Amino acid sequence: MAHMLSAGTHAKPNIEVHKFYGGAVLLVAFFSLVLQAFLHKYGRWAELIDLPLLVTIYFGVSRRNPVSGMFLGAAIGLLQDALGHDNPIGMYGIAKTCVGYLSSSVGARIDTEHPIARFGLVFLLFHFHQAVLTITQRVLLNHSFPFFTLRLFLDSIVSAAIAVVLFALLDRLRRPS
Amino acid sequence: MSEILSRHRPLALLAAMIFVQVLLLAFQIKREHDVRLVRYWAVQLLTPVERAGTWSFSRVTGVWRGYVGLRDTRAENDRLKREVEKLSMRNRELESKAAEAQRLASLLNFREAHSEAQMLAAQVIGASADPASHTLFINRGERDHVRRNLAVVTPEGVVGKIVEVFPSAAQVLLINDKDSGVGALFADTRTHGVVKGSGDPDPRMDYVENGEKVRAGEVVLTSGEDRIFPKDFPIGTVESAAPGNPFQVIRIQPAAHLDRLEEVLILLTQQELAPKKTEETASSSPSPASQPGVAKTKSSSPNHTSPATPKKTMPPVSPKPDAASAAPAAVTAPTPAPAATSSSPTTPPPSAPPQ
Repeated sequence: MAHMLSAGTHAKPNIEVHKFYGGAVLLVAFFSLVLQAFLHKYGRWAELIDLPLLVTIYFGVSRRNPVSGMFLGAAIGLLQDALGHDNPIGMYGIAKTCVGYLSSSVGARIDTEHPIARFGLVFLLFHFHQAVLTITQRVLLNHSFPFFTLRLFLDSIVSAAIAVVLFALLDRLRRPS
Repeated sequence: MSEILSRHRPLALLAAMIFVQVLLLAFQIKREHDVRLVRYWAVQLLTPVERAGTWSFSRVTGVWRGYVGLRDTRAENDRLKREVEKLSMRNRELESKAAEAQRLASLLNFREAHSEAQMLAAQVIGASADPASHTLFINRGERDHVRRNLAVVTPEGVVGKIVEVFPSAAQVLLINDKDSGVGALFADTRTHGVVKGSGDPDPRMDYVENGEKVRAGEVVLTSGEDRIFPKDFPIGTVESAAPGNPFQVIRIQPAAHLDRLEEVLILLTQQELAPKKTEETASSSPSPASQPGVAKTKSSSPNHTSPATPKKTMPPVSPKPDAASAAPAAVTAPTPAPAATSSSPTTPPPSAPPQ
Protein backbone atom coordinates (compact mmCIF):
# COMPACT_ATOMS: atom_id res chain seq x y z
CA MET A 1 0.00 0.00 0.00
CA ALA A 2 2.78 2.37 0.94
CA HIS A 3 4.52 1.55 -2.29
CA MET A 4 1.35 2.26 -4.21
CA LEU A 5 0.76 5.49 -2.36
CA SER A 6 4.29 6.67 -3.06
CA ALA A 7 4.13 5.79 -6.71
CA GLY A 8 3.64 9.38 -7.85
CA THR A 9 7.23 10.46 -8.12
CA HIS A 10 7.11 10.97 -11.89
CA ALA A 11 5.08 14.21 -11.82
CA LYS A 12 6.00 17.16 -13.94
CA PRO A 13 9.00 19.18 -12.60
CA ASN A 14 7.29 22.60 -12.72
CA ILE A 15 4.61 21.55 -10.21
CA GLU A 16 5.86 20.83 -6.72
CA VAL A 17 5.12 17.39 -5.32
CA HIS A 18 4.56 17.49 -1.59
CA LYS A 19 5.65 14.71 0.68
CA PHE A 20 4.33 13.99 4.13
CA TYR A 21 5.69 12.55 7.27
CA GLY A 22 5.56 8.83 7.52
CA GLY A 23 2.14 7.44 8.29
CA ALA A 24 0.61 10.90 8.13
CA VAL A 25 -1.60 10.02 5.18
CA LEU A 26 -2.90 6.84 6.74
CA LEU A 27 -3.45 8.44 10.13
CA VAL A 28 -5.29 11.43 8.71
CA ALA A 29 -7.48 9.21 6.59
CA PHE A 30 -8.25 7.00 9.55
CA PHE A 31 -9.07 9.94 11.81
CA SER A 32 -11.25 11.53 9.18
CA LEU A 33 -13.38 8.40 9.13
CA VAL A 34 -13.49 8.20 12.90
CA LEU A 35 -14.36 11.85 13.22
CA GLN A 36 -17.03 11.57 10.55
CA ALA A 37 -18.62 8.71 12.46
CA PHE A 38 -18.20 10.56 15.73
CA LEU A 39 -19.74 13.79 14.49
CA HIS A 40 -22.62 11.91 13.01
CA LYS A 41 -23.80 11.16 16.51
CA TYR A 42 -24.35 14.84 17.28
CA GLY A 43 -26.99 15.82 14.88
CA ARG A 44 -27.81 16.13 11.24
CA TRP A 45 -25.60 19.16 10.77
CA ALA A 46 -22.67 16.74 10.59
CA GLU A 47 -24.10 15.46 7.31
CA LEU A 48 -23.11 18.79 5.80
CA ILE A 49 -19.48 17.80 6.00
CA ASP A 50 -17.84 14.85 4.25
CA LEU A 51 -14.44 14.76 5.93
CA PRO A 52 -13.21 11.61 4.10
CA LEU A 53 -13.96 13.36 0.82
CA LEU A 54 -11.97 16.44 1.84
CA VAL A 55 -9.03 14.28 2.93
CA THR A 56 -9.13 12.37 -0.35
CA ILE A 57 -9.12 15.60 -2.30
CA TYR A 58 -6.33 17.11 -0.23
CA PHE A 59 -3.91 14.22 -0.54
CA GLY A 60 -4.76 13.71 -4.18
CA VAL A 61 -4.06 17.34 -4.98
CA SER A 62 -0.93 17.45 -2.84
CA ARG A 63 0.73 14.23 -4.01
CA ARG A 64 -0.30 14.82 -7.63
CA ASN A 65 -0.13 11.14 -8.47
CA PRO A 66 -3.33 9.72 -10.01
CA VAL A 67 -2.59 6.13 -9.05
CA SER A 68 -1.88 6.82 -5.42
CA GLY A 69 -4.80 9.25 -5.25
CA MET A 70 -7.06 6.65 -6.77
CA PHE A 71 -5.99 3.95 -4.31
CA LEU A 72 -6.29 6.31 -1.38
CA GLY A 73 -9.77 7.34 -2.50
CA ALA A 74 -10.78 3.69 -2.98
CA ALA A 75 -9.51 2.74 0.47
CA ILE A 76 -11.25 5.64 2.19
CA GLY A 77 -14.45 5.11 0.26
CA LEU A 78 -14.61 1.38 0.98
CA LEU A 79 -13.99 1.99 4.67
CA GLN A 80 -16.71 4.63 4.66
CA ASP A 81 -19.05 2.10 3.08
CA ALA A 82 -18.06 -0.46 5.66
CA LEU A 83 -18.85 1.91 8.49
CA GLY A 84 -22.31 2.56 7.12
CA HIS A 85 -25.14 0.14 7.71
CA ASP A 86 -27.43 0.49 4.73
CA ASN A 87 -25.09 1.12 1.83
CA PRO A 88 -23.74 -1.79 -0.16
CA ILE A 89 -19.96 -1.77 0.00
CA GLY A 90 -18.57 -0.03 -3.06
CA MET A 91 -20.87 2.96 -3.44
CA TYR A 92 -18.57 5.49 -1.83
CA GLY A 93 -15.60 3.39 -2.95
CA ILE A 94 -16.33 4.04 -6.61
CA ALA A 95 -17.11 7.71 -6.06
CA LYS A 96 -13.98 8.41 -4.04
CA THR A 97 -11.81 6.36 -6.39
CA CYS A 98 -12.89 8.67 -9.18
CA VAL A 99 -12.45 11.76 -7.00
CA GLY A 100 -8.96 10.65 -5.92
CA TYR A 101 -7.95 10.05 -9.50
CA LEU A 102 -9.41 13.31 -10.74
CA SER A 103 -8.02 15.44 -7.93
CA SER A 104 -4.53 14.00 -8.47
CA SER A 105 -4.79 14.61 -12.18
CA VAL A 106 -5.93 18.19 -11.63
CA GLY A 107 -3.28 18.76 -8.98
CA ALA A 108 -0.59 17.60 -11.39
CA ARG A 109 -1.63 20.29 -13.90
CA ILE A 110 -2.62 23.37 -11.96
CA ASP A 111 -1.41 24.97 -8.75
CA THR A 112 -3.95 24.43 -5.99
CA GLU A 113 -2.19 26.10 -3.12
CA HIS A 114 -4.23 29.28 -3.17
CA PRO A 115 -7.30 29.22 -0.87
CA ILE A 116 -9.64 30.39 -3.61
CA ALA A 117 -8.37 27.68 -5.97
CA ARG A 118 -8.86 25.15 -3.18
CA PHE A 119 -12.38 26.44 -2.51
CA GLY A 120 -13.31 26.19 -6.16
CA LEU A 121 -11.69 22.82 -6.61
CA VAL A 122 -13.43 21.32 -3.56
CA PHE A 123 -16.73 22.82 -4.65
CA LEU A 124 -16.45 21.21 -8.09
CA LEU A 125 -15.12 17.89 -6.84
CA PHE A 126 -17.90 17.74 -4.27
CA HIS A 127 -20.48 17.85 -7.04
CA PHE A 128 -18.44 15.42 -9.14
CA HIS A 129 -18.42 13.04 -6.17
CA GLN A 130 -22.16 13.51 -5.77
CA ALA A 131 -22.74 12.93 -9.48
CA VAL A 132 -20.78 9.66 -9.47
CA LEU A 133 -22.65 8.56 -6.35
CA THR A 134 -26.02 9.38 -7.88
CA ILE A 135 -25.18 7.63 -11.12
CA THR A 136 -24.08 4.53 -9.25
CA GLN A 137 -27.22 4.52 -7.16
CA ARG A 138 -29.46 5.07 -10.13
CA VAL A 139 -27.82 2.43 -12.30
CA LEU A 140 -27.09 -0.25 -9.77
CA LEU A 141 -29.65 0.28 -7.02
CA ASN A 142 -32.40 1.52 -9.30
CA HIS A 143 -33.02 4.45 -6.92
CA SER A 144 -33.91 7.89 -8.22
CA PHE A 145 -31.56 10.17 -6.30
CA PRO A 146 -31.32 13.77 -7.55
CA PHE A 147 -28.16 15.08 -9.16
CA PHE A 148 -28.56 18.54 -7.76
CA THR A 149 -30.58 20.14 -4.98
CA LEU A 150 -30.31 23.32 -2.95
CA ARG A 151 -29.26 21.24 0.00
CA LEU A 152 -26.42 19.78 -2.01
CA PHE A 153 -25.42 23.23 -3.12
CA LEU A 154 -25.26 24.41 0.49
CA ASP A 155 -23.35 21.27 1.41
CA SER A 156 -20.82 21.97 -1.29
CA ILE A 157 -20.37 25.59 -0.11
CA VAL A 158 -19.93 24.53 3.51
CA SER A 159 -17.58 21.71 2.55
CA ALA A 160 -15.50 24.03 0.37
CA ALA A 161 -15.28 26.58 3.16
CA ILE A 162 -14.23 24.01 5.71
CA ALA A 163 -11.81 22.54 3.19
CA VAL A 164 -9.95 25.86 2.97
CA VAL A 165 -9.36 25.76 6.73
CA LEU A 166 -8.70 22.03 6.89
CA PHE A 167 -6.24 22.07 4.00
CA ALA A 168 -4.29 24.85 5.75
CA LEU A 169 -4.06 22.69 8.84
CA LEU A 170 -3.04 19.64 6.84
CA ASP A 171 -0.32 21.65 5.11
CA ARG A 172 1.55 21.51 8.41
CA LEU A 173 1.98 17.75 7.97
CA ARG A 174 4.03 18.29 4.84
CA ARG A 175 7.67 17.40 4.96
CA PRO A 176 9.78 20.45 4.15
CA SER A 177 11.25 20.21 0.69
CA MET B 1 -2.24 -3.77 -26.44
CA SER B 2 0.32 -3.92 -23.65
CA GLU B 3 1.90 -0.74 -25.01
CA ILE B 4 -1.42 1.06 -24.83
CA LEU B 5 -1.96 -0.23 -21.30
CA SER B 6 1.47 0.90 -20.16
CA ARG B 7 0.97 4.30 -21.76
CA HIS B 8 -2.39 4.79 -20.06
CA ARG B 9 -1.55 2.85 -16.95
CA PRO B 10 -3.32 5.14 -14.45
CA LEU B 11 -6.47 5.19 -16.55
CA ALA B 12 -6.40 1.43 -16.96
CA LEU B 13 -5.94 1.04 -13.24
CA LEU B 14 -8.85 3.39 -12.59
CA ALA B 15 -11.05 1.34 -14.90
CA ALA B 16 -9.96 -1.86 -13.19
CA MET B 17 -10.64 -0.43 -9.75
CA ILE B 18 -14.09 0.74 -10.72
CA PHE B 19 -14.84 -2.58 -12.39
CA VAL B 20 -13.82 -4.51 -9.30
CA GLN B 21 -15.97 -2.34 -7.08
CA VAL B 22 -18.92 -2.56 -9.41
CA LEU B 23 -18.57 -6.32 -9.31
CA LEU B 24 -18.41 -6.11 -5.55
CA LEU B 25 -21.65 -4.14 -5.59
CA ALA B 26 -23.25 -6.52 -8.04
CA PHE B 27 -22.66 -9.41 -5.67
CA GLN B 28 -24.43 -7.53 -2.89
CA ILE B 29 -27.32 -5.83 -4.62
CA LYS B 30 -30.52 -7.74 -5.23
CA ARG B 31 -33.00 -6.70 -7.85
CA GLU B 32 -36.63 -7.75 -8.31
CA HIS B 33 -37.58 -11.28 -7.29
CA ASP B 34 -34.51 -11.44 -5.02
CA VAL B 35 -32.15 -11.98 -7.94
CA ARG B 36 -28.60 -10.79 -7.38
CA LEU B 37 -27.47 -8.09 -9.76
CA VAL B 38 -24.49 -10.10 -10.94
CA ARG B 39 -26.77 -12.94 -11.98
CA TYR B 40 -29.16 -10.48 -13.62
CA TRP B 41 -26.27 -9.01 -15.60
CA ALA B 42 -24.97 -12.42 -16.52
CA VAL B 43 -28.37 -13.41 -17.87
CA GLN B 44 -28.73 -10.09 -19.68
CA LEU B 45 -25.29 -10.56 -21.18
CA LEU B 46 -25.74 -14.16 -22.23
CA THR B 47 -29.36 -14.13 -23.36
CA PRO B 48 -28.77 -12.13 -26.57
CA VAL B 49 -25.91 -14.44 -27.47
CA GLU B 50 -28.07 -17.48 -26.85
CA ARG B 51 -30.93 -15.88 -28.78
CA ALA B 52 -28.65 -15.14 -31.68
CA GLY B 53 -27.36 -18.70 -31.59
CA THR B 54 -30.86 -20.12 -31.57
CA TRP B 55 -31.92 -17.82 -34.40
CA SER B 56 -28.90 -18.81 -36.48
CA PHE B 57 -29.49 -22.47 -35.81
CA SER B 58 -33.16 -22.19 -36.73
CA ARG B 59 -32.22 -20.36 -39.93
CA VAL B 60 -29.80 -23.07 -40.90
CA THR B 61 -32.32 -25.73 -40.02
CA GLY B 62 -35.01 -23.86 -41.94
CA VAL B 63 -32.83 -23.61 -45.00
CA TRP B 64 -32.06 -27.28 -44.77
CA ARG B 65 -35.67 -28.27 -44.32
CA GLY B 66 -37.02 -25.71 -46.78
CA TYR B 67 -34.66 -26.43 -49.65
CA VAL B 68 -32.33 -29.33 -49.21
CA GLY B 69 -34.84 -31.55 -47.50
CA LEU B 70 -37.50 -31.01 -50.19
CA ARG B 71 -35.95 -33.26 -52.80
CA ASP B 72 -38.71 -35.86 -52.59
CA THR B 73 -41.51 -33.44 -51.90
CA ARG B 74 -42.96 -33.42 -55.42
CA ALA B 75 -43.37 -37.16 -55.49
CA GLU B 76 -44.76 -37.14 -52.00
CA ASN B 77 -47.13 -34.33 -52.93
CA ASP B 78 -48.44 -36.31 -55.89
CA ARG B 79 -48.86 -39.35 -53.74
CA LEU B 80 -50.72 -37.36 -51.09
CA LYS B 81 -52.95 -35.75 -53.71
CA ARG B 82 -53.91 -39.16 -55.00
CA GLU B 83 -54.57 -40.28 -51.48
CA VAL B 84 -56.70 -37.21 -50.78
CA GLU B 85 -58.76 -37.87 -53.90
CA LYS B 86 -59.22 -41.47 -52.91
CA LEU B 87 -60.21 -40.52 -49.38
CA SER B 88 -62.58 -37.80 -50.62
CA MET B 89 -64.30 -40.33 -52.81
CA ARG B 90 -64.47 -42.75 -49.94
CA ASN B 91 -65.81 -40.00 -47.71
CA ARG B 92 -68.57 -39.14 -50.16
CA GLU B 93 -69.45 -42.79 -50.41
CA LEU B 94 -69.64 -43.13 -46.64
CA GLU B 95 -71.68 -39.95 -46.32
CA SER B 96 -74.11 -41.30 -48.87
CA LYS B 97 -74.32 -44.58 -47.01
CA ALA B 98 -74.82 -42.78 -43.72
CA ALA B 99 -77.67 -40.77 -45.21
CA GLU B 100 -79.16 -43.93 -46.62
CA ALA B 101 -78.85 -45.64 -43.27
CA GLN B 102 -80.60 -42.70 -41.67
CA ARG B 103 -83.44 -42.90 -44.13
CA LEU B 104 -83.74 -46.63 -43.70
CA ALA B 105 -83.70 -46.22 -39.94
CA SER B 106 -86.54 -43.76 -40.28
CA LEU B 107 -88.49 -46.24 -42.39
CA LEU B 108 -87.75 -48.99 -39.93
CA ASN B 109 -88.93 -46.90 -37.02
CA PHE B 110 -92.11 -46.11 -38.87
CA ARG B 111 -92.65 -49.75 -39.67
CA GLU B 112 -92.02 -50.82 -36.10
CA ALA B 113 -94.38 -48.14 -34.84
CA HIS B 114 -97.11 -49.58 -37.07
CA SER B 115 -96.50 -53.26 -36.64
CA GLU B 116 -100.23 -53.88 -37.04
CA ALA B 117 -100.03 -52.84 -40.70
CA GLN B 118 -98.34 -54.91 -43.36
CA MET B 119 -95.71 -52.91 -45.12
CA LEU B 120 -93.07 -53.52 -47.67
CA ALA B 121 -90.02 -51.33 -48.05
CA ALA B 122 -89.03 -50.45 -51.59
CA GLN B 123 -86.31 -48.51 -53.25
CA VAL B 124 -86.94 -45.91 -55.89
CA ILE B 125 -85.15 -47.06 -59.01
CA GLY B 126 -86.38 -44.61 -61.57
CA ALA B 127 -88.79 -41.92 -62.59
CA SER B 128 -90.98 -41.13 -65.55
CA ALA B 129 -89.33 -39.88 -68.68
CA ASP B 130 -92.29 -37.56 -69.28
CA PRO B 131 -91.74 -34.28 -67.47
CA ALA B 132 -95.49 -33.77 -67.15
CA SER B 133 -95.94 -37.13 -65.52
CA HIS B 134 -95.10 -37.47 -61.84
CA THR B 135 -94.44 -41.18 -61.49
CA LEU B 136 -91.73 -43.34 -60.00
CA PHE B 137 -90.51 -46.86 -60.44
CA ILE B 138 -89.77 -48.96 -57.39
CA ASN B 139 -87.93 -52.24 -57.09
CA ARG B 140 -90.91 -54.24 -55.89
CA GLY B 141 -93.37 -56.05 -58.15
CA GLU B 142 -95.60 -59.07 -58.50
CA ARG B 143 -92.97 -61.32 -56.98
CA ASP B 144 -93.27 -59.30 -53.81
CA HIS B 145 -97.07 -59.52 -53.89
CA VAL B 146 -97.44 -55.92 -54.87
CA ARG B 147 -100.80 -55.09 -56.43
CA ARG B 148 -102.32 -52.07 -58.08
CA ASN B 149 -103.86 -49.35 -55.92
CA LEU B 150 -101.69 -50.03 -52.93
CA ALA B 151 -100.69 -46.94 -50.97
CA VAL B 152 -97.12 -45.83 -51.08
CA VAL B 153 -95.97 -43.68 -48.16
CA THR B 154 -92.96 -42.46 -46.26
CA PRO B 155 -92.85 -41.73 -42.54
CA GLU B 156 -93.39 -38.09 -43.43
CA GLY B 157 -96.57 -38.58 -45.41
CA VAL B 158 -98.38 -39.89 -48.46
CA VAL B 159 -96.39 -40.46 -51.64
CA GLY B 160 -98.85 -41.97 -54.07
CA LYS B 161 -100.27 -45.29 -55.16
CA ILE B 162 -99.24 -48.23 -57.30
CA VAL B 163 -100.64 -47.90 -60.80
CA GLU B 164 -98.72 -50.53 -62.73
CA VAL B 165 -97.18 -53.74 -61.52
CA PHE B 166 -94.42 -55.62 -63.26
CA PRO B 167 -92.74 -58.83 -62.20
CA SER B 168 -89.95 -57.14 -60.32
CA ALA B 169 -90.95 -53.48 -60.39
CA ALA B 170 -93.93 -51.25 -60.00
CA GLN B 171 -94.93 -47.78 -61.09
CA VAL B 172 -96.08 -45.29 -58.47
CA LEU B 173 -98.37 -42.40 -59.32
CA LEU B 174 -97.36 -39.50 -57.09
CA ILE B 175 -100.02 -37.37 -55.43
CA ASN B 176 -98.92 -34.33 -57.41
CA ASP B 177 -99.55 -36.02 -60.74
CA LYS B 178 -102.44 -34.50 -62.60
CA ASP B 179 -104.18 -37.89 -62.74
CA SER B 180 -103.96 -38.45 -59.02
CA GLY B 181 -106.53 -37.83 -56.35
CA VAL B 182 -106.56 -38.57 -52.62
CA GLY B 183 -109.48 -38.30 -50.24
CA ALA B 184 -108.47 -35.68 -47.70
CA LEU B 185 -109.68 -33.63 -44.81
CA PHE B 186 -108.43 -30.74 -42.74
CA ALA B 187 -107.09 -31.84 -39.40
CA ASP B 188 -108.71 -28.96 -37.52
CA THR B 189 -112.11 -28.58 -39.09
CA ARG B 190 -112.44 -32.09 -40.51
CA THR B 191 -113.69 -30.54 -43.73
CA HIS B 192 -113.40 -33.02 -46.55
CA GLY B 193 -112.03 -32.55 -49.99
CA VAL B 194 -109.82 -34.19 -52.56
CA VAL B 195 -106.14 -33.58 -53.00
CA LYS B 196 -105.42 -33.65 -56.72
CA GLY B 197 -102.35 -33.21 -58.77
CA SER B 198 -102.17 -30.16 -60.96
CA GLY B 199 -99.03 -30.86 -62.90
CA ASP B 200 -97.14 -28.51 -60.64
CA PRO B 201 -94.87 -29.77 -57.88
CA ASP B 202 -97.54 -28.88 -55.33
CA PRO B 203 -100.95 -30.56 -55.48
CA ARG B 204 -104.23 -28.78 -54.78
CA MET B 205 -107.13 -29.55 -52.50
CA ASP B 206 -110.36 -29.34 -54.39
CA TYR B 207 -114.03 -29.25 -53.55
CA VAL B 208 -113.76 -26.95 -50.57
CA GLU B 209 -116.38 -24.25 -50.64
CA ASN B 210 -115.50 -20.59 -50.67
CA GLY B 211 -117.18 -20.01 -47.34
CA GLU B 212 -114.90 -22.44 -45.60
CA LYS B 213 -112.18 -20.83 -43.48
CA VAL B 214 -108.88 -22.28 -44.51
CA ARG B 215 -105.66 -20.94 -43.09
CA ALA B 216 -102.13 -21.42 -44.34
CA GLY B 217 -100.20 -24.07 -42.47
CA GLU B 218 -103.29 -26.13 -41.70
CA VAL B 219 -102.58 -29.82 -41.75
CA VAL B 220 -104.26 -31.97 -44.37
CA LEU B 221 -104.79 -35.65 -43.62
CA THR B 222 -106.10 -38.59 -45.58
CA SER B 223 -109.78 -39.20 -45.05
CA GLY B 224 -109.64 -42.90 -45.85
CA GLU B 225 -112.58 -42.56 -48.18
CA ASP B 226 -110.58 -43.60 -51.18
CA ARG B 227 -110.00 -47.05 -49.67
CA ILE B 228 -106.39 -46.82 -50.64
CA PHE B 229 -104.74 -44.68 -48.01
CA PRO B 230 -105.28 -45.25 -44.31
CA LYS B 231 -107.28 -42.64 -42.49
CA ASP B 232 -105.60 -39.67 -40.81
CA PHE B 233 -102.26 -40.11 -42.47
CA PRO B 234 -100.54 -36.78 -43.27
CA ILE B 235 -100.71 -35.52 -46.81
CA GLY B 236 -99.26 -32.08 -46.27
CA THR B 237 -100.02 -28.57 -45.13
CA VAL B 238 -101.95 -25.73 -46.72
CA GLU B 239 -99.58 -23.44 -48.53
CA SER B 240 -102.13 -20.92 -49.75
CA ALA B 241 -105.85 -20.64 -50.12
CA ALA B 242 -107.78 -18.30 -52.40
CA PRO B 243 -111.42 -18.01 -53.42
CA GLY B 244 -112.24 -19.65 -56.74
CA ASN B 245 -115.16 -20.67 -58.86
CA PRO B 246 -116.94 -22.73 -57.70
CA PHE B 247 -114.48 -23.94 -55.02
CA GLN B 248 -111.49 -22.50 -53.25
CA VAL B 249 -108.07 -22.86 -54.85
CA ILE B 250 -105.96 -24.43 -52.11
CA ARG B 251 -102.33 -25.28 -52.70
CA ILE B 252 -100.88 -28.06 -50.59
CA GLN B 253 -97.27 -28.50 -49.59
CA PRO B 254 -96.77 -32.28 -49.54
CA ALA B 255 -95.43 -33.71 -46.32
CA ALA B 256 -93.30 -36.24 -48.15
CA HIS B 257 -90.37 -34.92 -50.15
CA LEU B 258 -91.69 -36.04 -53.49
CA ASP B 259 -88.78 -34.65 -55.44
CA ARG B 260 -86.10 -36.58 -53.56
CA LEU B 261 -87.53 -39.92 -52.70
CA GLU B 262 -85.16 -42.83 -52.42
CA GLU B 263 -86.88 -45.32 -50.16
CA VAL B 264 -90.62 -45.73 -49.67
CA LEU B 265 -93.03 -48.05 -47.92
CA ILE B 266 -95.84 -49.91 -49.63
CA LEU B 267 -98.87 -50.44 -47.41
CA LEU B 268 -100.17 -53.89 -48.24
CA THR B 269 -103.47 -53.23 -46.44
CA GLN B 270 -105.60 -50.16 -45.91
CA GLN B 271 -105.65 -50.74 -42.19
CA GLU B 272 -105.76 -47.52 -40.27
CA LEU B 273 -102.40 -46.60 -38.79
CA ALA B 274 -102.49 -45.92 -35.10
CA PRO B 275 -101.28 -42.34 -34.75
CA LYS B 276 -100.24 -42.86 -31.14
CA LYS B 277 -97.30 -44.91 -32.30
CA THR B 278 -96.23 -42.56 -35.02
CA GLU B 279 -94.09 -39.78 -33.71
CA GLU B 280 -93.61 -38.34 -37.12
CA THR B 281 -97.33 -38.29 -37.79
CA ALA B 282 -98.09 -36.68 -34.46
CA SER B 283 -95.51 -33.99 -34.94
CA SER B 284 -96.68 -33.18 -38.43
CA SER B 285 -100.31 -32.78 -37.36
CA PRO B 286 -100.34 -30.64 -34.27
CA SER B 287 -104.03 -29.90 -34.24
CA PRO B 288 -106.29 -31.41 -31.59
CA ALA B 289 -108.21 -33.22 -34.28
CA SER B 290 -105.17 -35.18 -35.18
CA GLN B 291 -104.73 -36.40 -31.62
CA PRO B 292 -105.51 -40.08 -31.18
CA GLY B 293 -108.72 -39.68 -29.24
CA VAL B 294 -110.12 -37.00 -31.44
CA ALA B 295 -109.27 -38.80 -34.62
CA LYS B 296 -110.99 -41.95 -33.49
CA THR B 297 -114.11 -40.11 -32.40
CA LYS B 298 -114.39 -38.30 -35.68
CA SER B 299 -113.77 -41.36 -37.72
CA SER B 300 -116.29 -43.42 -35.84
CA SER B 301 -119.08 -41.91 -37.87
CA PRO B 302 -118.74 -42.59 -41.56
CA ASN B 303 -121.07 -39.78 -42.46
CA HIS B 304 -119.43 -37.28 -40.19
CA THR B 305 -119.06 -33.78 -41.50
CA SER B 306 -117.90 -30.71 -39.75
CA PRO B 307 -120.15 -27.67 -39.59
CA ALA B 308 -118.21 -26.19 -42.44
CA THR B 309 -118.38 -29.23 -44.58
CA PRO B 310 -119.83 -28.45 -48.00
CA LYS B 311 -123.42 -29.42 -48.35
CA LYS B 312 -123.04 -30.66 -51.86
CA THR B 313 -122.41 -34.05 -53.24
CA MET B 314 -118.71 -34.74 -53.60
CA PRO B 315 -117.92 -35.26 -57.23
CA PRO B 316 -115.73 -38.14 -58.35
CA VAL B 317 -112.10 -37.65 -57.48
CA SER B 318 -110.86 -38.59 -60.89
CA PRO B 319 -113.30 -36.91 -63.17
CA LYS B 320 -111.08 -37.00 -66.20
CA PRO B 321 -111.80 -39.95 -68.42
CA ASP B 322 -108.15 -40.57 -69.12
CA ALA B 323 -107.36 -40.37 -65.44
CA ALA B 324 -110.09 -42.83 -64.73
CA SER B 325 -108.73 -45.13 -67.32
CA ALA B 326 -105.16 -44.79 -66.26
CA ALA B 327 -105.93 -45.24 -62.60
CA PRO B 328 -109.43 -46.19 -61.72
CA ALA B 329 -109.79 -43.08 -59.60
CA ALA B 330 -107.67 -42.26 -56.64
CA VAL B 331 -110.50 -42.84 -54.25
CA THR B 332 -111.33 -46.12 -55.86
CA ALA B 333 -110.61 -49.00 -53.61
CA PRO B 334 -108.63 -51.99 -54.77
CA THR B 335 -110.69 -53.95 -57.24
CA PRO B 336 -111.90 -56.80 -55.08
CA ALA B 337 -113.10 -54.52 -52.36
CA PRO B 338 -116.85 -54.17 -52.13
CA ALA B 339 -116.56 -50.49 -51.48
CA ALA B 340 -115.19 -49.99 -54.92
CA THR B 341 -118.65 -49.62 -56.22
CA SER B 342 -119.39 -46.77 -53.93
CA SER B 343 -116.30 -44.92 -54.98
CA SER B 344 -116.57 -45.38 -58.64
CA PRO B 345 -115.97 -42.33 -60.81
CA THR B 346 -119.64 -41.83 -61.23
CA THR B 347 -120.62 -41.96 -57.60
CA PRO B 348 -119.82 -39.61 -54.77
CA PRO B 349 -117.45 -40.68 -52.04
CA PRO B 350 -119.03 -42.50 -49.12
CA SER B 351 -118.59 -39.72 -46.66
CA ALA B 352 -120.01 -37.08 -48.90
CA PRO B 353 -122.91 -35.48 -47.16
CA PRO B 354 -126.32 -36.05 -48.61
CA GLN B 355 -127.62 -33.35 -50.77
